[in-house]
Amino acid sequence: MALRRRFVAPVEAVRGGWRITLDDEERKLLIRLIGELRALLTGPEDNELLRRLFPVAYPEDEEKEAEYQRLMREELVASRLAAIESVSRTIDPAGDRARQVLDEGETIAFMQSINAIRLVLGSMLGITDDESADDADSADSPEHNLYDFLSWLLEWTVRSLSPTT
Amino acid sequence: MQPVMDPDLDDAVFVDRPWVVLVWNDPVNLMSYVTYVFQKLFGFSLEKATELMLDVHEKGRAVVASCGREEAEMHVFRLHEHSLWATMEHDGPSS
Repeated sequence: MALRRRFVAPVEAVRGGWRITLDDEERKLLIRLIGELRALLTGPEDNELLRRLFPVAYPEDEEKEAEYQRLMREELVASRLAAIESVSRTIDPAGDRARQVLDEGETIAFMQSINAIRLVLGSMLGITDDESADDADSADSPEHNLYDFLSWLLEWTVRSLSPTT
Repeated sequence: MQPVMDPDLDDAVFVDRPWVVLVWNDPVNLMSYVTYVFQKLFGFSLEKATELMLDVHEKGRAVVASCGREEAEMHVFRLHEHSLWATMEHDGPSS
């Protein structure tokens, strides 16, 4: 698959919102990936690949941590699934909001979902510190190319959303 | 009102101590992304958000908020929604 880096901004702020410019192949790829993310989020909780998506709040207090996870984990899953549903509507060529101008909430949902997939992929690639991150930068495999593609897409999304002051 | 002198007094002081929300360095989240999340969630200026992001990157962690426990938990949750590695702890030396 050719994941080309182009001179056309894949995500940009336009009048009235944000526009995502991706071809159908790229859209289908993202739809497949968020489908896999959805399956991961609704599967077993102890999956090691989920660790980065559900960080520890109280590393030094087991009791408070258990309480936090009991109260918040479900809400965090729901929040991530809601973002995924938003991306389905806006990215899928057959989605009801496809190729329309996105609002800020939809663009943020896109950003959060792309980043969540990057984090899962980062775990799969064994990126655990700055050194392994540098190694991954120079590695060449389909997974590494995918990781680079998502990083590129995320960078543009963040840039389009960022206040400049 | 008479202050109630009891052995739990130290605990009361402990409870009043604010909580700090920490964000830790991680190798996956992009620097621009972390800066944006700080601006968005805390209303920091680009300059302040960049400074905190660089603290996270170079010193390994940064305090992004200091507040009561409930508010701190809300901040941690919203940072977790953005997949940042955020934790919270009591401010000051732990007893």
